[in-house]
Amino acid sequence: MKKIIEKALAKGAERCEVFYLNSLETEVEYEASKLKNLSNTEETGHALRLVKDGRMGYATTTKADGLDRLVDDAIATSACGESVEFGFAGAADVGDAKLVDERIKGLSVEEMMKRSEDAIAKLLDYEGEINAESGTKRRVQTVSVATSEGFESTQERTLYQFYVGGRLIEGDNMLDAGGYYGGTTMDAGGPKLVDETIEDFTNGRTNVNVTSGPTTVILTPRAVADVMLTMNYGVNGSIVERGISPLTGKLGETIFDERVSLYDDGLMETGYSSAFFDDEGVPMQRTALVESGVLKNFLTDLRTAAKLDLPLTGNGLKLKRLIQTKELGKMPAPEITNWEMDGGDTPYAELLAGVADGVIVDSIMGIMMGNLVAGDFAGNVAFGFKVEGGKKVGRVKDTMIAGNVYKLLKDQLVDLSSEVTRVGLMGGIGSHRYPHLLLKEVSISSKG
Amino acid sequence: MKDRLEQVLKKFSSQCDYLEVHIEETEESRVQFTGPQLTDLGKKVDFGGNVRALNKGGWGFASFNSVDRIEEFAQHAIDQATLVGKDRSQLADVDPIRDDVTLDLKSDAREVPLERKVEIFRAYNKQVLDHHEEIASSSVRYFDRFHKRWFGSSEGAMVYQERIDLGGVVAAMTARDGDSQSFWVGFGSTDDFGAALGLEGKITEACDVAVEKLDAPKVKGGEYTVILDPRLAGVFIHEAFGHLSEADNVYEDKNLQKVMVLGREFGRPFLNVYDTGLDKGLRGYVVYDDEGVPAEKTYLIRDGKLSGRLHSRETAGKMGERPTGSARCIDYRYPPVCRMRNTCIEAGDASFDDMIAGTSLGIYAITASGGQTNGEMFTFTAGTAFMIRDGKLAERVRDVTLTGNVFKTLKDIDMLGDDLAIHDGPGGCGKSGQFPLPVSDGSPHIRIQNVVIGGE
Repeated sequence: MKKIIEKALAKGAERCEVFYLNSLETEVEYEASKLKNLSNTEETGHALRLVKDGRMGYATTTKADGLDRLVDDAIATSACGESVEFGFAGAADVGDAKLVDERIKGLSVEEMMKRSEDAIAKLLDYEGEINAESGTKRRVQTVSVATSEGFESTQERTLYQFYVGGRLIEGDNMLDAGGYYGGTTMDAGGPKLVDETIEDFTNGRTNVNVTSGPTTVILTPRAVADVMLTMNYGVNGSIVERGISPLTGKLGETIFDERVSLYDDGLMETGYSSAFFDDEGVPMQRTALVESGVLKNFLTDLRTAAKLDLPLTGNGLKLKRLIQTKELGKMPAPEITNWEMDGGDTPYAELLAGVADGVIVDSIMGIMMGNLVAGDFAGNVAFGFKVEGGKKVGRVKDTMIAGNVYKLLKDQLVDLSSEVTRVGLMGGIGSHRYPHLLLKEVSISSKG
Repeated sequence: MKDRLEQVLKKFSSQCDYLEVHIEETEESRVQFTGPQLTDLGKKVDFGGNVRALNKGGWGFASFNSVDRIEEFAQHAIDQATLVGKDRSQLADVDPIRDDVTLDLKSDAREVPLERKVEIFRAYNKQVLDHHEEIASSSVRYFDRFHKRWFGSSEGAMVYQERIDLGGVVAAMTARDGDSQSFWVGFGSTDDFGAALGLEGKITEACDVAVEKLDAPKVKGGEYTVILDPRLAGVFIHEAFGHLSEADNVYEDKNLQKVMVLGREFGRPFLNVYDTGLDKGLRGYVVYDDEGVPAEKTYLIRDGKLSGRLHSRETAGKMGERPTGSARCIDYRYPPVCRMRNTCIEAGDASFDDMIAGTSLGIYAITASGGQTNGEMFTFTAGTAFMIRDGKLAERVRDVTLTGNVFKTLKDIDMLGDDLAIHDGPGGCGKSGQFPLPVSDGSPHIRIQNVVIGGE
């Protein structure tokens, strides 16, 4: 890293920042209830951001012998780069930068296979017609950041991911159910995920119709995570900077029901996106976004914090958090880490028992396609139930849910469950902790 | 590089039923404006490879950046395949291809200096920001990638392919009283930097739409007759049927095989759907897939009936069908899986005017901001839309998200336009953690009955 900094400075850079990634990943995948694939991924590469003549240059390479080219490319892009009004991270003590679970490091392929095999056996024991799948993945990731201003640190993280699920086809009816866990330690949650999946299969086999119109809706923590993806834009420093966030200029104002408190927690214990410093070398932290309904902070990176004169929150991330990509990525930009919403006072069982006529929404398909910046969402209820007299009576299909997150958490919130449950976003990054939300007059559209 | 591949194949082939080696080098340039800021301007060099081994029906896969350690990874992949394999390997027979595919371009993006690219997109960006006082921000993205891919297999295939993939989007964001809307112009190509040029007219139109959308009321949820423009209909067929045609969903699922039996009626007799790799210049253009199999044009639905599916060598082998050249990966980090290329609904004979005139209450939905499916149900969102009242286009509405069910909605297509158009954008398709894979889609205008639209 030092060599790259020296080379960049020698070629005329005034200052620079080097990012290094090394990742070793092992994955076992079961498809159609059988072991299908074992894979290993080795990734290693460098990214270089530099300032020359006051302008930003940027390049990445995965070529071990490509470091001279890396410096040349970054210098070349600086010729037409943007003028820079912020500094790279300076020397700082970011503490013990290890989030390592030795059990993950030592996890054998045989043990990973056993975890998935046990889960599938249990699922098939419930119903042999399920086309079951499962995967267990372990990753050891090393990230280093060094700057010409004296920051230099390396952090090692171990990551563990597990999923189990399947598809049950009866006639033309397809029922998909499954669960996912991701974190920096190994969780004992495998058997629990199978139990929940079996419960979903049990409850989801009968379809019932639902009528269109304003409806009482319970969002499960998984569905809350889907809906909250819209808010990721509203609190993002770069969206605020552009003046298109509905929250622009509203710091300190009440935006939600006073029972809503929401945090971005880069230090969440065992959280998938937790780390000690972000991809610019800024310490990560727990940031209050909304407290008792009042908007407290926006998420920033070095650039937006300087531009908007806001505090640094340690959200300058290169590796995309929403859609997991295995590459060095673009320049750092504000991205969410792990989110947490405080629970309410009512146990979930009580919340459900009070619903005379409504719909439970457990997962929403297509939420990413809406007008997310404005907080609008609309999607297909991929998994959900009709509720009558406080009980699930069957699965709803061919049904849409639509709304706006800023109205939903302000005017439509009836209650929050006291239990807060951690969910992972399959295919996305981050661990999120949410209560169940009881909402009134939510728009539901359905066939028939 | 070929010699190196041959060496590895020669040394390790005897240890498993089938072995393949991929090496890939990519050079990428990117320009991104966000509002007035140039937020990403970068160059990327990406070099890496993978080894995939099949033994007794089990796959082992190792991808790596440290190409100098390829033999170590090859051994790893073989050991893992051996650990997995308990059955027998079944790959559909193909002739091992030995060929070089070099670039044949209309206009080479690599010859355009980065400074010039920045200038072009800065001008588009300025055009957006200066267009109207209610345009609060912009988003302009451009990328071009030059790929060199080497593929060799233990059966004697040795394919070198060059490919350029470029695309981008110019978007306008409007804001008024805490509300915001957007509209955009997208482009993509595999042989012509010209696709990025001369967009000024379209950008002006897109800016006007973004402004007009601020005034548009939200659509009222419910069931409607819907007319989709060719862009949205292309996304529709990709989500509604393309993914279910990917044979890796089907080949080991007996219950799904009963549902997806060839000859089953999915649409009315005039419905024809194909997926092809043969259309040069499109982002879904494929000469040889990532198993070295020549791409073809595959009919998925013919005369309303299921007539084919998209195969890898393994799914074709196991189902006793023909490989279609559909095994694709986004890059060397991933194994190839069954994917689409350019998916199209064939033209019919209805005119757009007749479709509108014959609709008493409906929605005309234009272009897509995305789509998603879980196999049976799918959903996608229109970029903008108009109500149709009494056979005429009426007011603009917003937030039109549609849902459908593969077993019902295709049969509800009751009119096909005579105006097939194929489009490319900057996005791509996601599956099995692999996103974005360049694909194209096309369709004429189509009319569908009884579509559920979400809304308040």
